[in-house]
Order: sequence, then structure tokens, then C-alpha cells
Amino acid sequence: MLFPTVEFALFFLAVLLVAWSLHRWNSAHKLFLLAASYVFYGFWNWSYVPLLFGISLVSGLVAQRIQASGSPRPRKLWLVLGVVICLATLGYYKYTAFFLTTVLNLWAHVARPPRVRIPEPLLPLGVSFFVFHAISLMMDAYRGKLKERVRLSDALLYVAFFPQLIAGPILRASKFLPQLRAPRNPNAIRVNRALLLIVAGLFKKVVISNLLATRLVEQVFAAPQTFSRGDVLLAIYGYAAQIYCDFSGYTDIAIGCAMLLGYRFPRNFNAPYTATNPQDFWRRWHISLSSWLRDYLYIPLGGSRGSAGRTCVNLMITMLLGGLWHGAAWTFVIWGALHGFYLIVHRVWSGIKWTPLVRFRQTAAWRWMARVLLFNAVCLGWVFFRSSSFEIAFAVLRRLAAPGAITLASVPVAMALIAGLAGQFQPLRWRKALEFELGSWPAMVRGGAFAAAVFGIELLGPSGVAPFIYFRF
Amino acid sequence: MRATKYNSLSQLAAVMTGFAVTILLLESGALLTWADRLDVGAARSGAVRVTAALHKALQPLGVEQVRKESLDGLDRLGWTDDPARLLAAREKSSLGVAGSNSPCMVAAHAPSSATPKTVAPVVAGVPKITALKPLPPAAPGQTRVVALVGDSMMAVGLSDVLLRQTATDKNLRIVKAFRSGTGLARPDVFDWMEEYPAMIGDEKPDAVIVAIGANDGQGFVEDGKTLAFGSDAWVKVYQQRTTDFLNLLTQNGAHVVWVGLPPMKAGAYNDRAAEINRIAYTVVSQNPLATWWNPQPYIGDEAGGFRELETLPDGKTTRIRAADGIHLSDEGAALLVPALIGWLNPAPPPITTAQVAPQETPVQASRHRRGARGRSARP
Repeated sequence: MLFPTVEFALFFLAVLLVAWSLHRWNSAHKLFLLAASYVFYGFWNWSYVPLLFGISLVSGLVAQRIQASGSPRPRKLWLVLGVVICLATLGYYKYTAFFLTTVLNLWAHVARPPRVRIPEPLLPLGVSFFVFHAISLMMDAYRGKLKERVRLSDALLYVAFFPQLIAGPILRASKFLPQLRAPRNPNAIRVNRALLLIVAGLFKKVVISNLLATRLVEQVFAAPQTFSRGDVLLAIYGYAAQIYCDFSGYTDIAIGCAMLLGYRFPRNFNAPYTATNPQDFWRRWHISLSSWLRDYLYIPLGGSRGSAGRTCVNLMITMLLGGLWHGAAWTFVIWGALHGFYLIVHRVWSGIKWTPLVRFRQTAAWRWMARVLLFNAVCLGWVFFRSSSFEIAFAVLRRLAAPGAITLASVPVAMALIAGLAGQFQPLRWRKALEFELGSWPAMVRGGAFAAAVFGIELLGPSGVAPFIYFRF
Repeated sequence: MRATKYNSLSQLAAVMTGFAVTILLLESGALLTWADRLDVGAARSGAVRVTAALHKALQPLGVEQVRKESLDGLDRLGWTDDPARLLAAREKSSLGVAGSNSPCMVAAHAPSSATPKTVAPVVAGVPKITALKPLPPAAPGQTRVVALVGDSMMAVGLSDVLLRQTATDKNLRIVKAFRSGTGLARPDVFDWMEEYPAMIGDEKPDAVIVAIGANDGQGFVEDGKTLAFGSDAWVKVYQQRTTDFLNLLTQNGAHVVWVGLPPMKAGAYNDRAAEINRIAYTVVSQNPLATWWNPQPYIGDEAGGFRELETLPDGKTTRIRAADGIHLSDEGAALLVPALIGWLNPAPPPITTAQVAPQETPVQASRHRRGARGRSARP
């Protein structure tokens, strides 16, 4: 079920109504949300609901066993068992063919590879997200971050909760499970903030992202050989805006929906293209994933506690695996490697303490230069991220030197591009002022305004809704 | 501050009521369209009844006009991505006449003289190998205009590779006329008879490559009756629509290759694809300008079933289907494209029939090449 559809709107209104009518009975309320989450997931393919249930159940049981074990050794053994089950599941569904074809292709360089039948199961929707939720639950239990004993029903809901199920944000068990302990407060619903998030998310996805995808990006990346440098550059910048609007739009809607149900989700994007260095970028882009990778991969690897060389290795491993998480293809690995390289370069650069340079780095001129430089470096990464093969990626890059007329520029494309990129520079106080202003309106009028905004978005959006980019991860 | 930041449940209920009332007023027509486009079944029938009643009740208020005028205004600005709407808006503004039909649409809906009076019985099976005889070479200096037509079976993979591999060929000009999520079963959702002329505009294709039908394994409503997929009545209507569409594609003497649906991963879906293929083959084989072409030997397994990965002649193992088990990957499409480009026969150099009408299946040929490679590598 896609968020910007009538089906989801009807589903969500029904869930909102029933969930709040059950809010006094927390167990029934949670049980209902769990059932609704499985309906939401089963709407795509019922045959994978048992997999979702199985992963949730295993992580919940393992978390309970970890909490019940007194000594470190059994705790560690339970954790390893749980993580292995989760990663094996993810590996089987997502990486089997990638791994085996890579082996066979390497083999082919030295000898004729054997004929093997490679299992190719259909990739379950959102498997990377719910597996990471499951691991977070077990890790937080292992690290003692969960103050109270994990209830199985809470664990099931935490992993499967529908607003975040398919494309995040990735919640931390230590932050979400406490919210499930007590009934939701019916007098503390941030309606205005939620409505603004949903409208912003719909606009970003339905209007900006879809428009850029259909009128610019898809055309160029399908056959870059047929476009000149102007169109190719537009498409690369267009993809930077498209992927931001697509993914942040999804998470805005997810956060808004959860907020209307009385739950708090973490912020997942914070104007990433305003970042001035790669480290800053990763604190603003897909925050829930980058902090997950930091806490559960980079820090266990040693983080920055060792030598400078070891820190660089840890950074590169984290980003390579982060790239692979996005998709089972070498183009994603290269995307991760590029970001690993950027982080290492930044680390070396910021380690230079030569006084004139330190002063220069504090100037506004440098901040803007750094912003532009970083944005273009990020865009270089997006070329590999978007391309279905290296052949396409290099063709796109080669065409940046090809002269010719710009054919894909149009008023809608220009407006979408500007809105997608420049929109990130809007001051936070505007949003707060709007939320405050809405608070003074009668509730019915606020609802009417929300409907009018949805109506406007529906008119402006291209016909049909493209799947969210992050669904495939 | 707190009073405005947080709301109570009753305020949330009032907001939602305001939202529901306003959205029904503004979108009752769109909701009816949504219901109408659902898969045929009990849910659709119920949704259509409810939304039609709502629309009927709210229409007299005239709010629907806001939607229509807004859309018309956006169309005039060139905002829409719907070719037929865009064309209609352009013609409306150039003629200054409201509601005039475009010549293309009239032509599209005019009954073709080639339309058979009776529909042929659907064949029991499709041929495994169908040779593509190259088109006669284009006259020197003449560019061959080729339309790529279809749903996502054309839009995903196949069109990309065709576009890339013909990009530098000055003898070919490609016209893109494909749209994902469409088909011939649901003209209420996307009417190819209306959209195709708008998509090609002033172009007059000499050759058309069409890949369509992946979304057509569903029932539809015809003359108020719900027709279940595969029923005799369904087959008859679908066959007629396929015939009409093919006549539209060939109406200016264009040659057509109709690419059949490849084997699908899901068994039930595969059965439906086979039925669509049989109907398309039946229709296409009646038209002298068109050839139905089976992609199965190129990307299916030895038994004609689904195949996800393939070891290419260069020894590289690669995924030839998209992760959904339906569409082609670029590498899969690349297995089909040489034969299609051979059929287009862009000159020079001339492509011989032998290259595009294999005596053995492409799978066999590929295996033989691999065998030869293996033997030479291991004397």
C-alpha cells in the first residue's frame, strides 16, 4: 500500500478511528495496531507476512532471553544467534544471487565455472528495514538500554508498526518500546505538526519527485547517449532533488501518521544539501540509518578510538556495507566507497591545524564553497546510485562533456528542481510560525485547509504514482 | 504556546471531519474515477456504488467545476504529462474552440477498413520460434522512424537498451510512445486508441515495436457487464481491442513487431500471460504488416519457463530479469535487442536473415558458443 493513494487514506482513517477509540485499553489498542500493520504489509503480498512475523518473533524471544540471562556469555550467545538469523534471512533474500554471480564471474576469469541453479526468491518489501529493527531490539537488550522487560507483543509491534515498516525511519527499540508501555495521551496530539508533515511529504513525493522522475531523470538515465551535457547535468541535479524529496517525503508522511496516532518517530532528514562537509551530510541524510550504522557497526569496529589509519578503515567498511545495504549491486558499493572516501578526506582535511587555514574554514565564503563542492561530490555518488550498471554511470559522466542543446528544461521541471533543492534552505522558523498560526484556527477549518492542500497536490502531481525509491531496499 | 502545539482527541476528530467533508466536496469526481479503476470484483462494485452516490449528491453544488477549471488551467500551462490532454489543451488554445476533437482522435476512433467483421478463434498455443524477416532497407538518406510502444514491458529495460543501442544510428529516429501501468484491458484507465496518436504527434512511424499486455490479466466491465478474465466474452472483447489497436498502429502502412510476454516468475501470472500471448498471436498473425515475436527462446529456460540468471557468451553470469520476476533487466533486454535492430535493418551495414531468424534457438546458440569457448579454453 503506497502512502499517496486513496487506499492508504481510507485505511489510515479507519485505523485512526479505531486506534483512538481503543486508547484506554492499551493492550487492545496495540493488538489492533499490530493487526493493522499486518494488513498493511499483506496488501502487497500475504505470503511474506509469516516472514515478518517470524523475524519479529525471533528478535522478541532473543531479546527476552538476553534480558533473562545473568552472565555475559549466554547473553552474547543469544545475541549472536539472533543477529545471525536476521542477517542470514536478509542475505538469503537480498544477496544470494549477487554473491553467487560475483563468485561465478570471478571464477570465469580462471576456469569455466560450474552450472549452478541459483535460488532467487522474490525480495520481500522493506526486508532491510524490518531486519534492522529486529537487530536494534536485540542489541539494545544486550546493551542494557531497555529499562523494562521486553513484552513479546510490544516486540512484534515495534518491528511491524506500519508507518515505518516499509521505508523507515529506523526506530530504536530503546526509544520506541517505552512509548508502548503507557496508553497514548488523548490530550497531547500534535495535530498541526502532523498535518504539515503529511502535506509536505505528499508535495515532495507526488509533485516534485514524480515530476522530476518522469520528465527528466528517467529519460536521461535510460539512454544518456542521446542527451547533451546540459540535459545530463540537469538530470543529475534533478536526481539529487528527486531522491531527497522521494525519501524524505515518505518519512515525513510516516512521522506525521505516527504523530496522529500519538507516537513519536525520530527525525530522518535535516536539510542535507545545506551540509558543509561529509560528516555533516551524514548527520542530516537518512539520520536513522546513519546513526544505526554508527552505533551498531562503526563503534563496535572500534570507531575513532584507534589509530588514524584504523579509523579510516572503519569508516570505509561502514560506508561500503551501508552502500551494500541499499542494494545488491556493485554500483551501490561504489556509492558507499565514494562516501567513505569523502569522509576520510574530510577527516584528514579537518585535522590540518595550520592557523590561516583554520581561520579560512571559519569564513562564510568557505562554508558556501564547501557546500557547493560537497553537493557536487554527493551528486557524483548519486550517478552510481541511480545507474543500473557501470556502463550507464560512465556514459552519464562522459556525456557531461557532450555539446548540444538542452531539450528537457521546462517550467515545471525548473520549478520542481528549485523547490526540491532550494526548499532546504527555508528557515525553520517559517515552519514553526505556520504551525503556531494553524493553532489559532478552528479545528474544522484546519481540516478543510488540509483537504484543500491535498486537492492541490493531486492536481499538480503527474498521473499515477511511482513507487518510492527506498521501497526496494 | 502549549495550547496551540498540542490538541485533544475531540479537536483531532473535528479536524478529521473538516478534512473528510472538504475532500468529499472537492474530490467526489476523482473518487469515482478511483473506484472505477479498481480491479474488477466485489470491492470495486461496492466502491463504485458508494462513490457514484456521493458524486451524484454533491454534483449539484458545482464544486466539481473548480477541479475541472483548475485542471484545464494547468493543461494550458503545459503542466500535464498526459499526451491526449496536452494535445487537446494545445488545440483548444490554438483554435479557441472548446470541446473540439483533435483530428488524431477522430482518426483513432474511426473504424478501420482492416477491422475484421468476425474474430478469429484463439490459437491453442504460440510458436516457440518466430523469425523476424528484416524490413527492406530504407532509401538512401531516408531516416526510418520507429515507435517504441507499450506498457512497462517496453518502458522498463527494453526501451532503454533499444534507445542506447540506436543512439548513434543516424538512419533511425526513435519515437517514445510507452507508458507503464497501462494496457488494452482497461481503456477506462488509459485509452491507447486515444493516447497513441497524441503520443506520436506529427510523426508517422515506418516501424513499430510493441510490448504490451502485462497488466491485462484482469477482468473488466463492458456495456455494464463484468467480464471475468479468460471467459469467452472477455476473450472476444479483448481480441477486438487488440485488433483495433493493431489496426491503429498499422494505419499508415507501418510495419509492426509485437513482442510477446516473456515467461513470468509467478505461476498464476504466467498462465495469464500465456492467455494474453495466444490472443495477441491470433490477432497479429491475421495482419500482413505485423509479426508476433516470441521472446521466450531468448530469455526463457530450456523448457520454456522463467529464467532469472543467464551465463552470457563472454562467461559472465548476469540477471536477465528485474527483481519483480516480471520485467526485463537491461541485460535481459540486451538479449532481445539485436534481433529487433536486425529487423529494423538500418543501413549500412545490411543484416542478413540468418542473424535474426535463427535455425536453432538463441538458448541453444548461446550454449553452443559457451561450449566452443569452454573447449578452446580446455583443450
